[in-house]
Amino acid sequence: MTALSRPNAARRVSRHRFLATLLTISIVTVACNAAAPGGAVGSAPSAGGGDADPASIRLYTTISQDTVDAVNAAFATAHPDIAIELFRAPTGELNARLAAERREGRIRADVLWLTDPLSMQPYAADDLLRAWSPPAAEAIDVAYRSDDYWGARLLNMVIVSGDDVDPAPTDWDDLADPAYRGGVVLPDPGFAGSAFGALGYFALEEGYGAAHLQALSDNGAVQVQAPDEVVTGVAEGRYKVGMTLDYSVRQAIDRGSPVRMIWPESGAIAMYSPIAVLASTEAAESAETFVDFVLDVEGQQAIASTGWQPVRSDVEGPPVEGPQVTPDWDAAAEQRDQLLEEYRAIFGG
Amino acid sequence: MVVLLAVVVLAAIPLVALVGVASADGWRGVVDSVDDRSTRAVANTLLVALLVSMLAVLGGATAALVTERWAWAGRRWLRLGILVPFLTPPFVAAVGWVRAYGPSGLTDDALGVGWSGLYGPAGIVVVLAVHALPLAYVVVAAGLATRAEPDLERAARVSGGSSRRVLWTITLPLLRPALITGAVLVFVTSVNAFGVPAVLGIPAGFGTVTTRIYQDLAFSADPAAFSRVIALACVLVVLAVVATGVAALSGRRAAVRTGGPAGPEMPAVGRSRLPLLLLGAYLVLTTLVPLLALVLTALTRAVGLPPVPANWTLANFGEAIDARTSAALINSIVLAVVAATLAVLLGALIVVLARRRGSRLLPAIATVTFAVPGSTLAVAILLAYGGWLRDTLLLILVAYLVKLWVLGLRPLASSADRLPPEHLFAARTSGAGALSAFVTVVLPIFRPVAAAAWLLVFIFALHELTMSSLLYGPGSSTLAVAVLNLQQLGDPTVTAALAVLLTALVLAAAIPVLLFRRSALEIGRG
Repeated sequence: MTALSRPNAARRVSRHRFLATLLTISIVTVACNAAAPGGAVGSAPSAGGGDADPASIRLYTTISQDTVDAVNAAFATAHPDIAIELFRAPTGELNARLAAERREGRIRADVLWLTDPLSMQPYAADDLLRAWSPPAAEAIDVAYRSDDYWGARLLNMVIVSGDDVDPAPTDWDDLADPAYRGGVVLPDPGFAGSAFGALGYFALEEGYGAAHLQALSDNGAVQVQAPDEVVTGVAEGRYKVGMTLDYSVRQAIDRGSPVRMIWPESGAIAMYSPIAVLASTEAAESAETFVDFVLDVEGQQAIASTGWQPVRSDVEGPPVEGPQVTPDWDAAAEQRDQLLEEYRAIFGG
Repeated sequence: MVVLLAVVVLAAIPLVALVGVASADGWRGVVDSVDDRSTRAVANTLLVALLVSMLAVLGGATAALVTERWAWAGRRWLRLGILVPFLTPPFVAAVGWVRAYGPSGLTDDALGVGWSGLYGPAGIVVVLAVHALPLAYVVVAAGLATRAEPDLERAARVSGGSSRRVLWTITLPLLRPALITGAVLVFVTSVNAFGVPAVLGIPAGFGTVTTRIYQDLAFSADPAAFSRVIALACVLVVLAVVATGVAALSGRRAAVRTGGPAGPEMPAVGRSRLPLLLLGAYLVLTTLVPLLALVLTALTRAVGLPPVPANWTLANFGEAIDARTSAALINSIVLAVVAATLAVLLGALIVVLARRRGSRLLPAIATVTFAVPGSTLAVAILLAYGGWLRDTLLLILVAYLVKLWVLGLRPLASSADRLPPEHLFAARTSGAGALSAFVTVVLPIFRPVAAAAWLLVFIFALHELTMSSLLYGPGSSTLAVAVLNLQQLGDPTVTAALAVLLTALVLAAAIPVLLFRRSALEIGRG
């Protein structure tokens, strides 16, 4: 209540002092906090996560909840001694959290499981991933793994069309057919990693390139955020045909939505969801056990049980109805900014 | 001391952490990352926010004058109705509009009338304005309750002034601080909006700063992209500073309240039913139809099937409420209640303690943290407090307070001159302690505004998606996490079911507060 009776002159002085104190305290606090990378100050043991107990690991992932739940449940049965702490978020949020933790000086995750290879690639390039080889990875096609991270499931980019669309498209080129003018919908590569994978494929593959994108745009193609919204838009009749994930179409068909899935004649664009152990982990053994489990038959069966295609050919999953093609991930990663720029020059945003 | 502590904890530390991130990467990178797309995004954001502020304040002030100035029958339901668009989370408001008025939406299917312009700037402005109008309404109505002087208005009318003249010469000048506060809050909210521009802007190739930030974050494993995120966040901060600066300048000549407590309410002057009819039509179009479209979506077995009873099911609601959702919902409600209560108490304390010193500065500082986009602010908070509070609900609470304390502070500050200092002195000299003076003198006077401010913080906190989805840990997941989980499972009918449940829940929470506010108004006047 002293402020109420303070005279004018003192007030002016006090404001400067006020601001100075404020700035000093803040800088000191931030500095102190940053200097305590262990984060052990006053935190409960359980909050320490992986470092407190090597038999507990932290999984950071962008994979959908039901799939992670199925995998973790299978893992808990096989390895009841290793507990998993899960942080699940969309790619953007997960990246932001990792960016913050890197600036704090320590990534808290032991295992990272992302949606598409391009999201993982920068972490590998910065040497944040542990160099080792899971025994189970031997059975994975070389197209679906790299040195430090391995595909744990496959996403297939396919065509969705309305039930009543006639003639139905049969291949990617058909999306540029005037028969579908104004009724073509695509996911935004700026939002969805899988959409960027498809962009990488079309931009780099002979016979498509920027001309294909331009043809789509000339045909009135519209972009929405995510592959799921492509299916929603087509099911509601807002669009006739679109590019989306096989999983999303199958799920909609199962529920009774009026759509059908078309496996492109030249091939669905197959992308793998990579999993890796962080180099900074203090629970390396448990983390490796988990990753190897996910890549092995049991983990892959759990993934298949939620409707996604397992990466191992010796585990049965949803039907692969035609050829699969893959983008050149290294080239796509290298030219990422340029590809997005070309894309946006055509589609806006 | 309280003021200093609040400013340090809620503004200075997070902002210093943010600046720390930017400078660690080198400011050159931040500057270099500005490109054509960024400038276009900034221009789009400014355009949208300015138009939305104008529309929302105009509409909100009109609605406030209509509901608060005349003793309508069923007025409490009108008040509630005006607030309903605000009670729907923004991420579902846009979807509701698309389902209602978009191509292949409800009106398109039923009447052949669809609005293709919904995708693009026009649609974004309209939906954001409808959604922000209640924010302006709450602030102006609270201003009317504490600031307006029915005695003066009555005097003017007795002296022969027309109602229009009374409005322009008495009511509006007295309301100016509230109008300015409303405009600033709406402006900053619109600048920050993500859900609506993401759904309606992307198909039209219309990007704003927030959608741009979201896209960059998806690639933020790359340091250059992260620098761009910080640069764009700084642009939003600058916009907020400019907006509050303009507001502070134009508020300088605000009319100062002269009278004591307000006399009895104005008698019903206009008997015309026109305003009531217009308001009703507006509510049907902007609220009822989109909500109905959402309910139909939630009831339908699968997306794309006609919403007829043969295709109806309650299964979507069952899927929306699992154990995880309920736990997250409880966390969210607790967080929102605590954040709202703390923000309002803090706001009242600051207004009393810093009545003159920094009385313009503090709301401005608080607006700055409100303007930092959630994703960026969450990174700053993780850096500032993550070491101590990681994975706790407390960390999310701090984040909510950092983001939302302005909503507790500004409405109270704009009614501050309602508090005559002599009352406090009188209480103190009569032997009341600081606390009991605060409770007996300050709180009753602020009650109507405090209730409005509480509601604002509560709803914003309940709807908060970005920060909590980034800050949560085992056991501290919030509704945001549940919503994003459901969304990523990809079934819009289930997401719609959750949205409908959420809206119903917020309605249930808001009704008692509004009824309380009504009685507070009457006590204040009587």
